[in-house]
Parts: sequence; C-alpha cells; structure tokens
Amino acid sequence: MTTAPSSARAAHRIAVLLTRHGEELARHVRRMVRDDDVAQDILQDTMIRAHAALARLAPQSNERAWLYRIATNAALNHLRSKARERAALGRHAAESSAAFAAGGGWTDESDERRDALWAGVAQLPARQRTALTLRIVDELDYEEIARRIGGTAAGARANVYQATRKLRLGVSTP
Amino acid sequence: MRTEQAAVERQAVERIVLGAFGELTGRRSEPLRFTIMDDTPVGVLGLAAGVRGLRHVNYVRGEDEFVERLLAEHGDVPVLRDALDTVRRALDRYFAGRRLAFDLAVDLGDLPPFNRLVLDATARIPAGRVATYSDVASRAGSPRAQRAAGNALHNNPVAIVVPCHRVLRSDGSLGGYGGGVTRKEWLLAHEGARPASL
Repeated sequence: MTTAPSSARAAHRIAVLLTRHGEELARHVRRMVRDDDVAQDILQDTMIRAHAALARLAPQSNERAWLYRIATNAALNHLRSKARERAALGRHAAESSAAFAAGGGWTDESDERRDALWAGVAQLPARQRTALTLRIVDELDYEEIARRIGGTAAGARANVYQATRKLRLGVSTP
Repeated sequence: MRTEQAAVERQAVERIVLGAFGELTGRRSEPLRFTIMDDTPVGVLGLAAGVRGLRHVNYVRGEDEFVERLLAEHGDVPVLRDALDTVRRALDRYFAGRRLAFDLAVDLGDLPPFNRLVLDATARIPAGRVATYSDVASRAGSPRAQRAAGNALHNNPVAIVVPCHRVLRSDGSLGGYGGGVTRKEWLLAHEGARPASL
C-alpha cells in the first residue's frame, strides 16, 4: 500500500504529475484491471514511485512514457497475482468437491453437489460466509471485501481461507 | 450507446484521479478545469473554470507554466484538463470580431472585496468604450483609491473577459497592462476604441 507523501513540496510535485498525466494513466490502468479501486491504488503507487525517482530523471526525458511504463507494470503484476488467486481458489473448490465425494452421499448430479456445498456454506460463521461469497460469487478483490465487511484485506483473505478449509473438513466429517 | 459508455468511462476516470488527488495531496475541494488556447491573436491563453464560473484567463507561455501557477495559487484544489468549450467559443467569437461581449459566469470569489468591486465595475464597460482608473475607483465606492484600483486591475485573474484593458489614465495615455501594453493596444484597436495606428 501507498502512503501519502510527507512534504508540501512532494505533494505539489505529485499534484503536477496528476494534473498532467493523471486522467490518461487512470484510463489506461482502468482498462487493464477493470476495477476502479485497484486502478486508483495503482495510479497512487505510480505517482509515489515516480515522485521518488523523478529527482534522478533528466529534466526533459519523456516523463509521460516513463509513467506509462511504471503504471503498466503495476497493472500487469496485479493481473498476475489475481490469476494466481483464481487458480488457488479453483484448487480449493476441486479439493472441497473431492473431499465431499470421499465422504459419500452425493450423486453425480451437479445440482445436488452444488446444493450440498452451499448447505456447507450456510453453516459457516457470518463473517467467513460473507467473505467467501463476495470472493467467489462476486469475484471481488480482498481490498473491496475488507471495505464491505470491515477490517483489512489480509483479514478478508484469512476469512476466505478459513471458510474454504472448513468446507473441506465439514463435508468429509459431517 | 458508444457515447454513453465514453461518458461512464470519463466519470470513472475522473473519480479515480480525484481520489488520488485527495489521498496523495490533500486536495479535496471542487476541481478547477483548465485548457490552453494557443492560437489567439494575443498569444497563448490559459483558461480555468470552477463550478461557479470562469476563474482564469491568463497570458502564459504554455501548459506547464499554467499548471504550476494554478496549483500554486489554489492550495486545496485538484486541477484537471477539460475542453471548456463554452469559454473557448466565446473567445473565438470575440477574436473573430463576431461578438465582443461575453455572457460567461465569472467567479471572483477568491479576491478581496475591493478588487471584486473594481473588477465588477470594469466588467460593465462595453466594448468600444474606455474608462479611467479614477472612474472605476469611484464606481467601486472609493474615488481616491486610484492606485489600489490600478493594482486590482493589474492582478485581474480573468483578462479580456473582465476587460481591464478598457481602463486608461485620466490624460488618455494607455497606462499599464498585466499582459504588456502591446496586447492592451491590440485589444482596444480590435474593439474599435482606438485607432489601430496607436
């Protein structure tokens, strides 16, 4: 996460960058990540990194191209980690189903399997249930989940983890 | 549908940038929107407007200088690029000589009361006419404050639209101008107030 710059000079410098390039960069990043909150985080990170490094940059070097590169890399990193999250969740879901299958009691009908899974979800503590639903059904990121249920992104992540773990245990040992 | 999508995107993008302005610079007031007009007969103009109206028509060298100036003068305000089509069109009509009067909302709310009174009086001088420093000082309620009136005019943030170029010395000589006397001569000649040979 980014923190606000400390000095008035830094704030002024960043304001200049935001005025000159903010909208163009925000549009670019938003089109990549398709999420306004993530786009704002990335824009802010870009500005802070740019400000920190700008002193080393030659005065008339291409500021705009350089900002674009930083922002694009940040957006790509975000998309990669999101893909990793998705893959991990896919594995969780597969493991849950396998564990459920091992416990017996379900036919091959996907409706029944889904019903059983959601019955398990309904048994979860409210916070974990909400976090899991926001994550899997609404596909929100942890920042957004934290914003909706309170607490931190790390807390939201822990809630989702606990929920998937319980689902696996719950269905194998009812 | 396409334009609708573009409008949605523009709004979202603006929210993101304003959010970043607030988080990183503490600038959370209503944004100031600016543009550069670089093809006028009196050179490059920087235009900026807020929600209540036009706040800047400045003679500038270019965008960088104007952005620095806006950010320095308005400490808590985010600054965004905009088309400012209405203002631009009004100035185009003025420079083309098609319409010399402006029907634009002007926001002088940041200025000291006396400066505001002087500029309000100045805004009522029609194109083609001139007034003296003591005229506008009188109309601002302080007949003897000619020098202060001169300063208020010199620091007019909304050049041309608030026509401080129409205020001359009592002896008919031009007096000063924030944008340089050459521009003052050009504007007066353009409005037919003075012979172009002056």
